[in-house]
Amino acid sequence: MTADEAPPADGSTGRVKPPGFDISVANQARMYDYLLGGKDHYTADRAAIDAQLAIYPDVAFAARANRAFLGRAVRYLAAEAGIRQFLDIGTGIPTAGNTHQVAQEIAPASRIVYVDYDPIVLAHARALLISHEAGATDYIDADLRDTDAILDQASELLDFGTPVAVTLIAILHAIPESDDPHGIVGRLMDAVPPGSHLAVSHMGTGLLDSTTRRGLEDHSDRAMQQRLTARSHEEVARFFAGMDLVSPGVVRVEDWRPEPGAGAGQSVLWGAVGRKP
Amino acid sequence: MNTVVPDGEQPFSGLDDPPVEATVLRMMLGGQLRRLREAAGITPEQAGFEIRASRSKISRLETGRVGLKGRDVRDLLTLYGVTDEAVENFLALVRQSNTPDWWAKYNDILPGWFEPYLGLESAASTIRSFEIQFVHGLFQTEDYARAVTRPGRKGAPAGEIEDWVRLRLSRQALHARQKPPRIWSVMDEAVLRRPVGGAAVMRAQLRHLIKAAAMPHVTLQVVPFSRGRHAAESGSFTVLRFAERDLPDVVYLEQLTGAIYLDQRSDVEQYLEVVDELSGEALTPDASTRFIEQVARET
Repeated sequence: MTADEAPPADGSTGRVKPPGFDISVANQARMYDYLLGGKDHYTADRAAIDAQLAIYPDVAFAARANRAFLGRAVRYLAAEAGIRQFLDIGTGIPTAGNTHQVAQEIAPASRIVYVDYDPIVLAHARALLISHEAGATDYIDADLRDTDAILDQASELLDFGTPVAVTLIAILHAIPESDDPHGIVGRLMDAVPPGSHLAVSHMGTGLLDSTTRRGLEDHSDRAMQQRLTARSHEEVARFFAGMDLVSPGVVRVEDWRPEPGAGAGQSVLWGAVGRKP
Repeated sequence: MNTVVPDGEQPFSGLDDPPVEATVLRMMLGGQLRRLREAAGITPEQAGFEIRASRSKISRLETGRVGLKGRDVRDLLTLYGVTDEAVENFLALVRQSNTPDWWAKYNDILPGWFEPYLGLESAASTIRSFEIQFVHGLFQTEDYARAVTRPGRKGAPAGEIEDWVRLRLSRQALHARQKPPRIWSVMDEAVLRRPVGGAAVMRAQLRHLIKAAAMPHVTLQVVPFSRGRHAAESGSFTVLRFAERDLPDVVYLEQLTGAIYLDQRSDVEQYLEVVDELSGEALTPDASTRFIEQVARET
C-alpha cells in the first residue's frame, strides 16, 4: 500500500502513515540499534537516548534484555514448540541474533516473514536478513495496524494450515488504545491455526514508578517518531486471551526463562509467550 | 596484558586474538595513539615535533592511513608517558600491522591516494556504495574493467593498463573468502544503460551482475530512471564499515586525480542518510535483478 492511498472505510481511527525517512527525529529502530552497539543511527537518535538515560538509567540494559528475550523466545518456539514458521512484525534494524538466524540454527528449513512499516528499515532487512538456503525469508512493507495486508502477503510464504509463531517484540507499545491493539492481535491470532504461538514484549506500567513512566512517555511524544504507551500486567496478559501462557507467564523480559550470564539491571518490559489451543 | 588505555576503555585485541587485517590494526593503533596523546594533553604539533613530522602526518598516523614505524611509536609513547611493558605490547602490535599488503606488487602504478582504499576495502565488514556512472569495481568483468581503465590513461603503456585491470580483479578475491564482507550496492539505471566497451562487453557485464546479485553476501539495487530525481546529488561514493565497534565508518569519494576519505561522524552521517534513502527508493533486490535481466535483453 502506498502512503497516499485513502484510509480504509472501516472507520478505524488514528491510522498513522508510515514515518517518512527523517533523520532529524529520533526513531525507535535506530535508537535500539545504537543501544545494541550497531552503527546505523544519527545524531537525533543518540540525543534521544541521552535524554532517556537521564530519565531511566537502565535503557541499555532494557534493550539488551529485550533482544535476549527475543532470542530465548524464538529458541523455545523452534526447539521446544516445534514451530517452523515465523511472522516477525516490527523487525527493526538487523543486528546479531535475528529471528531467522536463531530459528534456522535449530531448524534450517524454517520460514520467516519480516514485517516493518519503515521502508528504510525494511531495505536493511532485505539486504541483511538472508535466509539459510534450506529455508526462506520474505519481507513485507506494512503497518501492524493493517493486519489484512500483512496476512495476505505473508500467506505467499507461510502456510496458515500449520502452526505459525507471531512475534510482536517491543512494537505493541507504539500502538495507542485508539488503534485497538488488542483487536489487532486478535485478528492476527484468529488467522493462524491451533498450535500457533504469540510472543510479546511490551513496556509495562507496573515496572516503573509513575514519574519515570510519564517521563519516558512524554519524551517519546516530544522527540520520537513513535509515541509510546506503557501497559499494565493485566493489559499485556489480555493480548493472550483464549491462549495458554507458557510458563512463567507474563514477567519482566529478563525473567522469562533466563539463562546464565544475563547481567544485572531491571528492564521496563513485560515479556510472554502463549500457545493457541 | 598491561592496558595502555586511558579512561577505562577495553584495550584493543591482543596478540592471542585471531589476526586482524593490517589496516584495521593500524586504525585501532592510530586511534589508541590519539587517545593517549589527548589524555596527556599534547597537541598534534607537539607530537609532530617529537618525531620530526608535520601535524598532518600525525593525523594520518592517528587515522591509520599510513604505516607506523616502531621508532616513531616508541618516541610518541614515551612523550605520552606510557612505559615498560605497555610499550612493548604496543610495538608488537605495530610489527603485526606492518605485514606486507597483498597489493604491494602494484606499487609502481598505485597512486598514494588510492592505496588506503585498498586496505579499507579489504578490512571492511560491510561495503555500501552508490554508483551513478560505472559498475562498482568489485563487480566488473575483465573486459569492462579494461574498457573503463583505458580512456583515463591515454598514452599509458599497455602493460600499465593490464596491471590496473589485474589489480581491480584481484580486489574481487574477497568474494571467495570464507566470510566475505557484506556488499550492498545501489546503482542508478544509467550504470546499466551506458554500454561501456560496446554492447557485447556490456551484455556480459550485465549477466555478471545478475550472477553477483545471487551471491549470499551481495545485495544489488537499481534506482530506475522512472523514480525521477533521487537522493544522490552527491555522485558516486562508498561507505566502508568495520566490525570493530570503535572504528568509525569511512566514506570514500574518488576524483580524477585524488580521493577524499571522510571519517568524521558529522560528515559520514550525511552519506549514510543518502545511501539509506536511496536503498528505500530503489527497487527491491529481487525486482532489481529482474530489471537488470530486462536491460540485458535490450542491450
